[in-house]
Amino acid sequence: MAKVKVATDWLAACAGCHMSVLDMDERLVQLLDKIELTSTPITDLKHPPKEGVTVGILTGAISNTTNIEVAKQMRERCQILIALGDCAVFGGIVTMRNFFDMNEALKRAYVETESTVDGKIPCSEELGRPVRVCAVNQVVKVDIHIPGCPPSPDAIYYALSELLEGRIPVLTGDNLKYD
Amino acid sequence: MATVNIKINGQQIQARAGATLLEAAKEAGIDIPTLCHHPALANIGACRVCLVEVAKQRTLQPACTFPISEGMEVETESPKAVEARKFVLEMLFSERNHYCMYCEMSGDCELQALAYRYGLDHWTYPSPHAKMPVDGTRKYFIMDHNRCILCRRCIRACSDLVANHTLGVRFRGAKTMISADMDVPFGDSTCVSCGTCLQVCPTGALVDRKSAYMGREVHVEHTASACTFCAVGCGTSVVTRAGHVLRVEGDWDAPNQGVLCVAGRFEPLYDRRERITSPMLRKGNGLVPVSWDEALGAIAAKAKGNSGKKAAAYVTGKALNDTLGEFLRVFQGKMQATVGTVEPTLADLDLPVGGSLADVDAADCILVAGGDPLATHRVLGYRVKRALDKGARLLVVTDKPNGMLPLAHRKFGMAQLDEAVKVCQGSAAPVVIYGGDLDKASARKLATLVGKARFIPLFPASNGYRARELGLKNGFSANGLKVLYLLLGDAELPDEAVKEARRAAFLVVHAAYKSAATDVADVVLPAPLWYEQEGSFTALDGRKVAVKPAVAAPEGMLAEAAVLARLAERL
Repeated sequence: MAKVKVATDWLAACAGCHMSVLDMDERLVQLLDKIELTSTPITDLKHPPKEGVTVGILTGAISNTTNIEVAKQMRERCQILIALGDCAVFGGIVTMRNFFDMNEALKRAYVETESTVDGKIPCSEELGRPVRVCAVNQVVKVDIHIPGCPPSPDAIYYALSELLEGRIPVLTGDNLKYD
Repeated sequence: MATVNIKINGQQIQARAGATLLEAAKEAGIDIPTLCHHPALANIGACRVCLVEVAKQRTLQPACTFPISEGMEVETESPKAVEARKFVLEMLFSERNHYCMYCEMSGDCELQALAYRYGLDHWTYPSPHAKMPVDGTRKYFIMDHNRCILCRRCIRACSDLVANHTLGVRFRGAKTMISADMDVPFGDSTCVSCGTCLQVCPTGALVDRKSAYMGREVHVEHTASACTFCAVGCGTSVVTRAGHVLRVEGDWDAPNQGVLCVAGRFEPLYDRRERITSPMLRKGNGLVPVSWDEALGAIAAKAKGNSGKKAAAYVTGKALNDTLGEFLRVFQGKMQATVGTVEPTLADLDLPVGGSLADVDAADCILVAGGDPLATHRVLGYRVKRALDKGARLLVVTDKPNGMLPLAHRKFGMAQLDEAVKVCQGSAAPVVIYGGDLDKASARKLATLVGKARFIPLFPASNGYRARELGLKNGFSANGLKVLYLLLGDAELPDEAVKEARRAAFLVVHAAYKSAATDVADVVLPAPLWYEQEGSFTALDGRKVAVKPAVAAPEGMLAEAAVLARLAERL
């Protein structure tokens, strides 16, 4: 049987959710018997292949226009989209920025940080513009939500195993956590 | 008891007529989820989490306020009820900042627990997430409006339990905010920092500064004990982790009904006095740490040949019952020394004791004379305020400033005590609350109410009742004393008393903290703290309340009674 293709990518994230994917440890190796990780931010190939994958996984919140593009591309190229982690599911800790005026936040990040000398707010046309932070499901349709900061390796393994069995995972008990 | 027959989830139930659906379900062991409901507070149906499907009702009904009636058929987890409940939860989550990962309450939050129970893995509605203020103007706890779900438990606790009426709401609808007085910072409001609201808050909106992020319920231990900081004898639950006291909570099932005051809930945890950790003996100019044997040996050597009038011992009225018993056995029994307490025991007033918080609840007229419960026995004071809310009249007799005065229906000077007594005589269930500012003549006037009124003494020390019962009286003179033993516990002596005590040829101070008294003592003995003691004391209503150790005492520390017993062996 051909392996099920899975792609992951991250948006405004701390990488903790991907760490949790790696924390599946030997179970990740077992999964690789049945799935093929076509692309992830921590492998050589970063972008989901044009021919598409079965499962797309996004971690992190939508915080700028690049995030929106990445999310839309993943949505177009996958059949089942998983929002993984509190930031992807709810907006998470990144939404703290919504408490502040955008210029105030940019100034704080690029000019006023204690270690910065002669800081400048980046303004290249090539960069994404910051937007009001929100969950992935505010931009594209999400099929499966796995909250958690980060979600436990158990929850991720459970969700992928259920999908491999042809079932939609329903998180309960210790697999459903918001922190 | 009149009963009605109802059916919940197909189960036939006989329940008390007049009960709410929630009460009937609870009796039958059927769990209906709730959020704004709290067993100690009146139900207001604010949160709509307990919505259930009642046959023949047009809409879903809140179980917490819906009264049962004969033949009623209810489904608590029908698809319609569950859908509504999830919708309510989603609305609550999307209204303010309910991100669990940086919340102090995560793991213990009732809102979070409900969301887990109903499998909420995402929110349909984006969070508008307006920035809400955080009020940190109070010393002991913080109000974070971002976490508030407007369940109004805090308001009900403030009004119904403590009768302080500080909290309310301002604005309406989505703009509603919990607010103090006429919208002032909590620290500038009439809030008395009793912390009852903190104890009932279901989310992380009210946060204890000291114990925040120090451990979730699964990490901490609870020890049922009693507050030893006044004679009301409030039941407490002392919350500890790894040998540290994190916070103190009120016991809902004790007569204080969960309520504590700032002096019992917060202040003891901020005590920064230097602890005495070892027996100390004066050698040359300074106090030197010594063994128990050496310290007790030094005391015994001085005590021998100095019994009777040449020796005296005074104990704090905060000491536990077995300490007081052992104290008398050693100093009165063995040494025939003069004995007494360092605080007044109100014994001279010769007035009855035994009135309780329940008597205050039932009172129609409350006479406060010679003391201020709101300053010294606050939970009793709150209870008086509750009685006033229910229509009782308050008469305050005092020549001094008194926190009860603004609430008094009639105010009297001490000289007009007769008039106040007369008003009391005309009432059906009067309660007299009396304190140490009374003189004997005034006490005699109050005594005319004996038989009619219930009397509540404001003992200056927590175990004043037992000290009085044992015949201990206050007031000491060190004139001509060869040996003076002061058992202070965590109490402190006023400077004049320390000066007087030092006139004794040999001074022993048995205390928990370093103070002016220990500085001048010849022997200092360490005493355990309130959360390290085991025993009991007698509250102002005569109730024996148990004190349990929540944390082990430091190594080498002995219970006060054990020290006295060891001393007795050497005499």
